Amino acid sequence: MASQTDSVYVTLVSSDGFEFIIPRSAACISGTIRRMLDPASKFSEALTGRCVLETLNGVVLEKVCEYFLYNEKHKDQVNVPDMEIPAELCLELLMAADYLDT
Amino acid sequence: MSALSARQFNMASRRQASNIRGPRSALTDFLASNNISAVQIRDDYDRRVAEAARENVGEQPEQPEPEPEDVEMEEPSAGPTPETESPEDKAKKRKRQQAIERIKKSKDFARRKARRTGEPDDDDDLLADEIMNEKQRPLPGQLGNCEICGKRFTVTPYSKTGPEGGLLCAECSKKHASGEKKAAPKKRSAGIGRRQNQSALLDGLASQGTQSLLETCIKKVAENIADVEEFGDLPLPVMNRLSQILARRRAITSTTLDLFIRPQNREINIFDCAKLDTDDYHKILALMPSLNKLNLRFVTPMKDRIFEYMMERGLPIEHLHLDSPNLVTDDVWRRLFVRLGSRFRSLKLWNLDSAFDDETVEVMAKHCTQLQRLKFKHLHRIGDKALEAISTMKTLEHLSLHISQETSVEPLNQIVANLGSNLRSLSLEEFYYADDRLVHLIREKCRHLTKLRLAINAEVSDQALATLFIDWPNPPLTFADFHRTRDVDMGNPAGPEEPIGLASNAFMALMAHSGSKLRSLNVASCRHISYKAYEEVFSEHKRYPELKYLDIAFNGVVDDYLASSIFRCCPALTRLVVFGCFKIRDIKIPRGVAVIGTVGAKLTVDGITQKELV
Repeated sequence: MASQTDSVYVTLVSSDGFEFIIPRSAACISGTIRRMLDPASKFSEALTGRCVLETLNGVVLEKVCEYFLYNEKHKDQVNVPDMEIPAELCLELLMAADYLDT
Repeated sequence: MSALSARQFNMASRRQASNIRGPRSALTDFLASNNISAVQIRDDYDRRVAEAARENVGEQPEQPEPEPEDVEMEEPSAGPTPETESPEDKAKKRKRQQAIERIKKSKDFARRKARRTGEPDDDDDLLADEIMNEKQRPLPGQLGNCEICGKRFTVTPYSKTGPEGGLLCAECSKKHASGEKKAAPKKRSAGIGRRQNQSALLDGLASQGTQSLLETCIKKVAENIADVEEFGDLPLPVMNRLSQILARRRAITSTTLDLFIRPQNREINIFDCAKLDTDDYHKILALMPSLNKLNLRFVTPMKDRIFEYMMERGLPIEHLHLDSPNLVTDDVWRRLFVRLGSRFRSLKLWNLDSAFDDETVEVMAKHCTQLQRLKFKHLHRIGDKALEAISTMKTLEHLSLHISQETSVEPLNQIVANLGSNLRSLSLEEFYYADDRLVHLIREKCRHLTKLRLAINAEVSDQALATLFIDWPNPPLTFADFHRTRDVDMGNPAGPEEPIGLASNAFMALMAHSGSKLRSLNVASCRHISYKAYEEVFSEHKRYPELKYLDIAFNGVVDDYLASSIFRCCPALTRLVVFGCFKIRDIKIPRGVAVIGTVGAKLTVDGITQKELV
């Protein structure tokens, strides 16, 4: 599906099957996802525009996507407050952030 | 006699009693001399209360009629009062009318009226009525009837006003408040939170955009460290960052320490051990058998037996970084070096004043045969002899010395002469007697330096430093620090003819030699660098692509023009320190640069102006 490579949106799939469709530019804040989706890489993710993230479950991935969009929204502002993160999620999210290189 | 009248009698007699003159305070006398009488004030108050209560009844005839004096009493109502026009009612009406007349003459009324003019219903009577109603509200401490549920309750200053203007009981207040919209969160404008801005700047956070998710999460974890049971498989850099944040919050205790002790890890970094005790160090050493790097700061309770345990276990420690282990005696230090010294690759010690003397350094120099990295900061008991001993350690590649005793020139020169050819980094701070000979030796011997610090000195001349950098076969430095190398003579602020310290020529030579690779440059207080030199160094076509950190504090010549030139020449700049540069008044700061230390300057960050308060 060559048409997917230049689509504005990409699909992120969690280990338990939740799908999140978000703008490519937002998802590419993550170094890992950016490299997955790099058209030059010829990874299947780049060709289909669909990343299956086996290490993240739906809850964490939802928060991650929230951060992507939060970052996108505030990238031109000064003194942006940190995004709210529920305490019980922060360690898992920390691992996810490390994995995703964001 | 009924209970009621007995009360009335009591109150009356009390009031009379208060007219009897007893001993009087100075305040009472003063008030009396100004025609103010406490008795009169209280009487007025009682009258007002009585009046208010009576009119309350006049307005709401279905309410039980409380006697003026017994507002505190809760008596079941004796049935609705008849609505016939009794003479009493007439009197009340007259009183109300009088009150309204009074209100119409009052200042408050005039003010409100002035505010209302222009509105269609400009009716004096309505307005007066409104004020009247407001005045009739029971005062705190009195009883009132809730506007919504009609219950009787004690009025407090916190009682809320209902939709019709009456007061509400506690329960209805709550319901009413929850129905109201919550106040919108306060918006931060650019001018507010200056302290926070400065704090973030000092932390090196550029104010643009959001922080990385990783950083946000680390902060959040640090906030909730008490609830964390285990870190799981956190990578080392993340652990270190957590350790730093926790240390800064002084949150590392015996319990949080457990999170950092992982038997499989080969290193541990705790940046604040002030709350740990001797047993905790034992725990670290006992539970981490493959420990290779032990980096502990503020280790005040570390004692001899910890070192002894370290020797007993024969831990494979190669990197020992300790800040202030002052309870460890010289004897044990020496035994440690004899026993484990041959393994050590790096040794960093800070803040030692009660132990660690010259002789210990000699033992160290003899036994640490593989040591590559040595850092002594603020060690009080070592001097020339220690420097001589260090000059024999041929394996050293990184040397950083900032000792507190005054030392002579020779041993230091010896160090550079003996070790210079091997050194990758050299940091010498506060060696007052170091002079041009040292600089010549550096030029002669050093060929592999990437980091050079020569700070706090008033002997080395500009000429010598300039000569050092002109055609120096050493590759470009990435780190240069010459802060506070300047002449200090109060009587002659412009300095001598021949400049002392890093001045114009040396600055230009340094930038010509190292500018292409320089990442960090500190020339704070190098006050003899001229405007011209700055202009030359940061002229239009010059570029310093790697320079990230620049400290030009107390270089008074730097003005808005030079600052903008600096921004233009250093595209990678993230931090510019400008304490005491008072000529910086109005600058446009590019995105991602933190400018620290401006006073009262107008800063424009990426088009957003921030006026600084002084």
